[in-house]
Amino acid sequence: MRVAIAEDSVLLRDGLARLLEDSGFDVVAQCETADELMLKVRSYAPDVVVVDIRLPPTHNDEGLRAAITLRAQHPSVGVLVLSQYVELGLAMELLADSAEGVGYLLKDRISDVGDFVGAVRRVATGGSALDPIIVSTLLARQRPDDPLGQLTPREREVLELMAAGSSNQGIADKLVITLRAVEKYVSTIFAKLGLPSSGSESRRVLAVLMYLRS
Amino acid sequence: MSASAPARPGGRRRVRVPGVPALSAVAVGGVVAGAASLDFALANDGIGPELGEPLVIASIWSWTIVAYFLGGMLAWSRRPASRFGPLMIVTGAVCFLVTLSWTTSDVPFTIGQTLDKLPTALFLHAFLAFPTGRLEGPLEKGVVAVAYATAILLEPARMAVGEYGPHNLFGVASAPAAFNVVRDVQLVVLAGCCLGGVAIIAIRRRRRGRPLRRSLALLNDAFALGLVMIAVFFLANLVDAPAVAQIRWITFVVLGLAPVAFLIGIAHARLARSSVGELLVELRDDSSAAGLAPALGRALRDPSLALAFWLPEFETWVDIDGRAVDLPGSGDGRATTLVEHDGARLATLVHDRALEEEPELLAAVGAAAAIALENGRLHAEQRAHLEELRGSRARVIQAGQRERQRLERDLHDGAQQRLIALSLELRRLEEQLGSDPNARSRLDLARREIATSLAELRDVARGLHPAVVSGHGLAVALEQLAALAPVPVRLCVDLGTRLPEDVEVAAYYVVSEGLANVAKHATATSARVDVTRSDGRAIVEVVDDGAGGADTERGSGLRGLADRVEALGGRLRVWSPPGDGTRLRAEMPCA
Repeated sequence: MRVAIAEDSVLLRDGLARLLEDSGFDVVAQCETADELMLKVRSYAPDVVVVDIRLPPTHNDEGLRAAITLRAQHPSVGVLVLSQYVELGLAMELLADSAEGVGYLLKDRISDVGDFVGAVRRVATGGSALDPIIVSTLLARQRPDDPLGQLTPREREVLELMAAGSSNQGIADKLVITLRAVEKYVSTIFAKLGLPSSGSESRRVLAVLMYLRS
Repeated sequence: MSASAPARPGGRRRVRVPGVPALSAVAVGGVVAGAASLDFALANDGIGPELGEPLVIASIWSWTIVAYFLGGMLAWSRRPASRFGPLMIVTGAVCFLVTLSWTTSDVPFTIGQTLDKLPTALFLHAFLAFPTGRLEGPLEKGVVAVAYATAILLEPARMAVGEYGPHNLFGVASAPAAFNVVRDVQLVVLAGCCLGGVAIIAIRRRRRGRPLRRSLALLNDAFALGLVMIAVFFLANLVDAPAVAQIRWITFVVLGLAPVAFLIGIAHARLARSSVGELLVELRDDSSAAGLAPALGRALRDPSLALAFWLPEFETWVDIDGRAVDLPGSGDGRATTLVEHDGARLATLVHDRALEEEPELLAAVGAAAAIALENGRLHAEQRAHLEELRGSRARVIQAGQRERQRLERDLHDGAQQRLIALSLELRRLEEQLGSDPNARSRLDLARREIATSLAELRDVARGLHPAVVSGHGLAVALEQLAALAPVPVRLCVDLGTRLPEDVEVAAYYVVSEGLANVAKHATATSARVDVTRSDGRAIVEVVDDGAGGADTERGSGLRGLADRVEALGGRLRVWSPPGDGTRLRAEMPCA
């Protein structure tokens, strides 16, 4: 699996590259700026890019702009955005109309190597990865009459993992239940929230997010 | 109290004011001269028939003499600093001396005839030197000098070769051909000088604009017309036009009108001065600083009048609101009059150049408004101080903001990145460690410690500066605030383009504080956040449906927020009527 990295801190860039290489990735490009990333994506055709949201020269939104442009111009390339702050507004901007092949994680998550590598793989193969903080922010959001209250604790756990982008298999592994059980939970949740059940796992991420955000 | 042109650096010239005896002597002299010339005309047959009816000619001359004497006297007494009055008196005196040519004695006749063309040069001089009595530019000086030379030098030459009767002491020979040449040259040159003078008057009017008062326009017209008539008269003489006698009459009448126009001007200036009285009443009734310049403008009939006040402490000129202004330079078509009080600079009136012709009115208005101008100056000074204070408060808050922003970035680029890298390193170490359970659990603990530190650092960094606001804009940043609020929040951000960064950050804190207060006031079940832009102002509103009655005075949060908003020239208000929710509203200029 080919991966490109854009991160301006040398320390972190090296660490990330080593981590991904150790986990079997082929790191085809290490970039310092968003412009460099755009060029190298064209040349090296990675399956996924890992990009810091704050990049030179202004350290404002260069990384995010690059991610959004990549999603539009190279829909087949997965984009995982890393940041030291996770913001609901940014997640919404990034996932504007599709959760396919996109991820947004707090930078701290890279030290949970297993989860992090899983997220990179998921994004590379068209899945999604959303930081638990975003999901919990959305779940904690106050609503006038809260249908989330009808969910059982277990269903809530499944919803959280689902919103974060986990596949059914991923949820089954995490909660140590059968795939069949997960599928049952998912359809119950959709029914309780009044959402139409949709096929693809990444499409249902967006549906759940939109529901939670409104 | 005095008023003078500020451009003159040498201070005021000492002016000798003419006393009553001098003025009386001029008046008496003028009347006697007028009567004497009338007597010359009637007692002698010095006025030839070619000049027309002796009585008519003599009356017009006498009138001109008396008018210039009296007009000059008035001008001298009213404007001692101007040479215009003495110049008029001299003109009247020379006009009288010319009438000596009507006598039949040798010496007086010769004197009178020698001076025959000198009044022309004097009229030209006086008209061009109005109102100061001084010729301004080289062009004026040149034209007048040529006129003087022609009038003084060529007349004796004419007399030497011309037929001037038995009393001409300069008569040498009769040479009609030479006489004609000298006469033609003299008349053409003098006519040319007069027409040049008319051109100068026309150019001046074009440059300065039409005078503000009709009497001044009338005076200028009288001057120009007089000069035109002299030129016409001389040229008519040259070609022996049939109506020379009538043209002569008309010329003298017109020249006699100039002092009348001048007297009308003085009378009008007196009327204008009555506006000084009105000004005093107006200033008493409306003592507001903003009304000062319009009131002075009305008194001077110059609606374009502006005021500049001198602030010695700042060493600058400012407007009534304490903002620094530049005084117009000489090429701006505007004139300035400095108003002083007890020798100290007070204010400058910036006015139409046409008002330069009425220095007494300017001085009178300046004097009448001295107290009001001093009040205006104090007002301007206060505003300047206020502005300075506001500026320094804004700078302090801005400097704080920049510093916090810098610290946030340092944390982000430094400690936070290093801790993450360290955590990664520990993970690698863990993998290489093999299966020592004790070491593994200690490493795990260390990584958890790092994770906690990172979370804490993130909170610190966020408290220092909301990086997401500067990085991604207000709308994106408010999404998270609204989601984390303790009650459902309807968020509506309608801005179009992004706001200036300082305003964005302040707006973020307003919403943050507003929603935090919603949490404190408990009873609210929902809240609304609106951010809009209207008339160059950003408007941020946080409204809840709680019980209201919140104590809006206490709490350093709101005070600090108000400081931040006011430093940006904005305003923060809180309404919290009991039972009717709480509304926090900030308005900040964002043009």
